[in-house]
Amino acid sequence: MDGAEAVIQIDGLVKHYGKVEAVRGIDLRVARGEVFGFLGPNGSGKSTTIRCLLGLLRPTAGSIGAFGLDSTRDGVALRRRLTYVPGELRLPDRLSGMEFVASIGRLRGGFEPARRDQLAERLRLDLHRHLRDLSSGNRRKVALLLAFLFDAELLVLDEPTNGLDPLMQHEFLGMVREARSAGATVFLSSHSLSEVQRAVDRVAVLRTGKVVAQGTVAELRGRARQRVEVWFEDDPPEAELKALPDMVDPVVDEHRFTATLSGSIQPLLGLLARHLVTSMLVEEPDLEEAFLDLYDGETV
Amino acid sequence: MNARILELVAGPLRAMRRATFWWSLGLAALVAGTISVWPAFKGSSGISQAMDQLPSGIVQAFGLQDFGTPAGFLRGNLYDFFVPLLLAAAAVLLVNGQTAGEEAAGRMELYLAQPISRRAVLVGRVIAALIALTVITVVLLLAQLVSDAAFDLRIDTGFVLSTIVLSGLLAALHGSLAVAVAGIRGRQSLVLAIGLGVAFAGLIVSSLFQLSSVLAPWRHLSPWDWAFGGNPLEQTTELWRYAALAVPSVILTGIGVFAVARRDIAGA
Repeated sequence: MDGAEAVIQIDGLVKHYGKVEAVRGIDLRVARGEVFGFLGPNGSGKSTTIRCLLGLLRPTAGSIGAFGLDSTRDGVALRRRLTYVPGELRLPDRLSGMEFVASIGRLRGGFEPARRDQLAERLRLDLHRHLRDLSSGNRRKVALLLAFLFDAELLVLDEPTNGLDPLMQHEFLGMVREARSAGATVFLSSHSLSEVQRAVDRVAVLRTGKVVAQGTVAELRGRARQRVEVWFEDDPPEAELKALPDMVDPVVDEHRFTATLSGSIQPLLGLLARHLVTSMLVEEPDLEEAFLDLYDGETV
Repeated sequence: MNARILELVAGPLRAMRRATFWWSLGLAALVAGTISVWPAFKGSSGISQAMDQLPSGIVQAFGLQDFGTPAGFLRGNLYDFFVPLLLAAAAVLLVNGQTAGEEAAGRMELYLAQPISRRAVLVGRVIAALIALTVITVVLLLAQLVSDAAFDLRIDTGFVLSTIVLSGLLAALHGSLAVAVAGIRGRQSLVLAIGLGVAFAGLIVSSLFQLSSVLAPWRHLSPWDWAFGGNPLEQTTELWRYAALAVPSVILTGIGVFAVARRDIAGA
């Protein structure tokens, strides 16, 4: 995000719950207009960081804010410019969807009813039903509707696709892309990488309260392991292949060679250029694999 | 009024309307049911003689003196502890339900993620709880006055009014204690234990300490003594008694409102 204006600024954020160190020093910048993936397994500190950003938690050390506003000191002004979908969603059961949306609307200072109806239709959500009668997926849709209803500059979405079916997840990603096109910044937390890798520009990966990697999806992929499979016209040069750097579990089986590459593919391509190769397959790593690699090692 | 400010009170009021209805109905039924037996007690010397057989300390402690008179009947059956204790419990439970209860259930989070301060949210809920408590108290007063007329219980309306207002203020004091605890910690068990525990403890101090000459002077520490120590069903209540209940209520509410902005909000 070189040169771009930072919307979210996190500097040395630490959050302890008693003796539990939930967040252990996070530094992060999210640029205006980008969709930022905040990734990590359950308990890695994603929700704690987000709840600090919203001013629901007070940082033990460091600072967190957005638009140049501090989440603790300027909470009201900061929250005026963002909307939020909580990871653990609890809604007031006694209200209908319509009443709940109206109540939040009054607290925020109004909304366009036509936009509400349009979003409800897009999400296939019946707002006239009581919230207690809705499935977890439909409750999630109510929270998503609220997040996209108010033309916020920043959308903070904590595990927003929990409980959504694949069709609705697809619709949601479309809404995220539209929000970005309209100039919004989206901070999207998830433990399901396959969902977000299609939508995010950059990601940060958390592990036990620390950022262990950040960059673009492509950069993260570049660090991931790739599975290669090569068929030779003759016997493979086994000794040379096994001597290559970053080669994990190399196996020669007659004319076929398979291995997992944990580094650059260049040395392998150099070697193959000197031999007669009939076919070659390199599986593109998805972010999930890159993600798992990050948990194998402490830091990447 | 600004729609946002109105919603901060109206939302919690909507949530409490059912509880307010049932508390009002329950207390009104208790009062009406109790006073319906007054005609059997009226002027009965037998009851008073039966009470005279009890140790005087017990009679004093449980407000059983002059049971055959309107004031003695109301004091012994309703206002010495039953109605004020129920009102205090209502106040503590209503406050808990709108503060620590909502927070523990994780329902506070989406509201506090809106552009409103925590203090404004808590003040809105305190006002809503106060309105609910006022409604319950007014229904109680109406039930009392209607029952008095229906069952020929003749007592000065001003004394009844003072007694019920003092009961309401005593409940508000315990409700505001619940606000303070909810503001400081936001844990349901703590709010209920302290709110209801202090109500019970105050009742015991006020009614039982007088049985011991050593402990008797300490009964004045109890808010129950501040409220009912002047026998409001038979005598004009001094103004300081209202203030002694109202002023700490305001202070405790202020402590809760101040503290809530300085701590973490529990997640779901």
